Amino acid sequence: MAIAKAERLMNLALCLLGTRRPLSKRELRESIEAYLEAGSDDSFNRMFERDKDDLRELGLVIETVENLDGETGYLARRDSNRLPPITLDAEEAAALGLAAKVWQQARLAGAASGALQKLRAAGLPEDVDPYGAHGALEPRIPVHEAAFEPLMLACRDRRAVVFDYRKANAAQPEQRHVEPWALECWRGHWYLAGWDRDRGAERVFRLSRITGKVRSRSGRFTVPVPDVVTVRETVASWAGETADRSARIRLRSDAGYPLRAKATSVRELGDGWDELEIPYGHGLDAWLVEFGPDVVVLEPAELRADVVDRLRAVAKG
Amino acid sequence: MAGKPVRPVNAIDQTRRMLSLVTYLRERPGARVEDVARAFGITEDELVSDLDVLPMCGTSFRGGDLLDIDTDGERIWWHNPAALGADAAEPLRLAADEATALLVAARAVATLPGLRESDRQALLRATAKVETAAGEAAGASSRLSVTFESEGGVFADVDRAIAERRRLWIRYYSPARDEVTEREIDPIRLVSVGHTYVEAWCRRSEARRTFRLDRVAEIRILDEPSAPPEVELRDLSEGLVQPAAEDPEVVVEVAPGGRWVAEYYPHDSADELPDGGLRITLRTPDPASLRRLALRLGRDGRIVEPPELADSARQAAREALAAYDGVEAAGTTGRSEGFE
Repeated sequence: MAIAKAERLMNLALCLLGTRRPLSKRELRESIEAYLEAGSDDSFNRMFERDKDDLRELGLVIETVENLDGETGYLARRDSNRLPPITLDAEEAAALGLAAKVWQQARLAGAASGALQKLRAAGLPEDVDPYGAHGALEPRIPVHEAAFEPLMLACRDRRAVVFDYRKANAAQPEQRHVEPWALECWRGHWYLAGWDRDRGAERVFRLSRITGKVRSRSGRFTVPVPDVVTVRETVASWAGETADRSARIRLRSDAGYPLRAKATSVRELGDGWDELEIPYGHGLDAWLVEFGPDVVVLEPAELRADVVDRLRAVAKG
Repeated sequence: MAGKPVRPVNAIDQTRRMLSLVTYLRERPGARVEDVARAFGITEDELVSDLDVLPMCGTSFRGGDLLDIDTDGERIWWHNPAALGADAAEPLRLAADEATALLVAARAVATLPGLRESDRQALLRATAKVETAAGEAAGASSRLSVTFESEGGVFADVDRAIAERRRLWIRYYSPARDEVTEREIDPIRLVSVGHTYVEAWCRRSEARRTFRLDRVAEIRILDEPSAPPEVELRDLSEGLVQPAAEDPEVVVEVAPGGRWVAEYYPHDSADELPDGGLRITLRTPDPASLRRLALRLGRDGRIVEPPELADSARQAAREALAAYDGVEAAGTTGRSEGFE
């Protein structure tokens, strides 16, 4: 039976961590049963390279040193792999325990538990049930978008990417070349901010609109990554939350609670209708139409025209 | 060859866990299986499968220094802890992904407005310590951020009601009916998935209901104790809205400008149309609630099924237009008077 990968990785890690001098590939092959059974040199070499990459993903710093005979040796030095001293009290431990549970994405959920386990091995206090300590809060970070993981890695490693992107109102997706800067989750959706190479400008993309695969491009970033990347502001303005004008509407007295919640003034008209002043930003026309006959736009004329236009389209059906 | 083979994530996670486990067990001879599994956030079965692998591991399988770790199912014994040098069993530094996952989550949770102040302070202290301990590995965490939406005051009241096991009175806005209703609820838990929700037993409908906090118009903590019946908590990882198979079907056809519908509404299918639009099939217990959607779509889409829903949207639009005809006419009269 083939030896499980976790066993092989574990052995490689222990060998590299346990040695004081660099071990050559040959020595490692002789020490680890799975490598002895690997068959040809080629398949051993491929396996070994992959395993080293995997251990590095786990945070292991593996040094490559050439010995006097010109042979390459490997070791994981203790001082570059040791967790610096960290002391956390019971409350801090409980808080981190809660935080480590919020990811709903396999890779990050695994990484968060891994972090907690390393801290646990370093003496993080136990005996505290994070839910018991905190009560009823169960925050979850949703990640449903397939593009998330490749983009997260590309942001981390500063690799340019290419993907097909369908804008909200576009019939066909378009290929975009992007230097990815940062990912942000807002209102349960993920957005990417980065440098759009074709447009020569900063752009924000919604991950759910990426169609097909995200592929990496070689080469460095051509534009420096800004210290502060503002995703939310851009998305908020898409969502019509940066209103710069105001509108006047009539609203049936028992209807439209969310409009009332946003209103800057509400005046009862006494005939079963109220008059409201509300902020007027992008998308207000579509929102008002949702309330059907319970809303009448008074001004501005432009908003009235947009709403009437939309209503006509529905009335024609 | 195109690309690397798909990486079995569980082997990575298991290796990560076993490396920490070795350090942990070394300090705790005779540790109880139950306690270790809890400390590591894994099941006892997962722990036992790790304990099956560890005896195959060591610094050289030939040198006889494999880890001699075994368990009687209750306690775990390591008979040769010297097989690993003292320094080979020290806690390992955090990887970039580990630091990112923990720090981004911690920062996000710290922004929850309803978090108890003492918990927030503890979280902020812990975050700062982890940042320091992670060193360079913490850098990548600035590439990700998450903001939870929640309504501070409402959140705090719900949280308190849950802690004190008390009933809540709320005025709640239901967009499907565009109405605000009053109800008493026995809160069970708070859930943040993008928006923040309280899952509760609704005393008005005598059923489990989920309420979005930003739709709570008013809230009061009542003196009555909360007594929700024992309900099995649902797994919410697939989303809060989980339509039932018996719910009626709604079919919507949208133009390219209405493709967002597929992003916002959980659906059974979304088939491409030749014009770049979509034909979306979804299920809802209450199709009338989608009248809003039909109105919102305007020329970007139409309801295909059920026909009554399409009719009600058309009817609503005509009624709404009638109001404008009136206003328009009055306006015209006014202008013509001025002209004369």
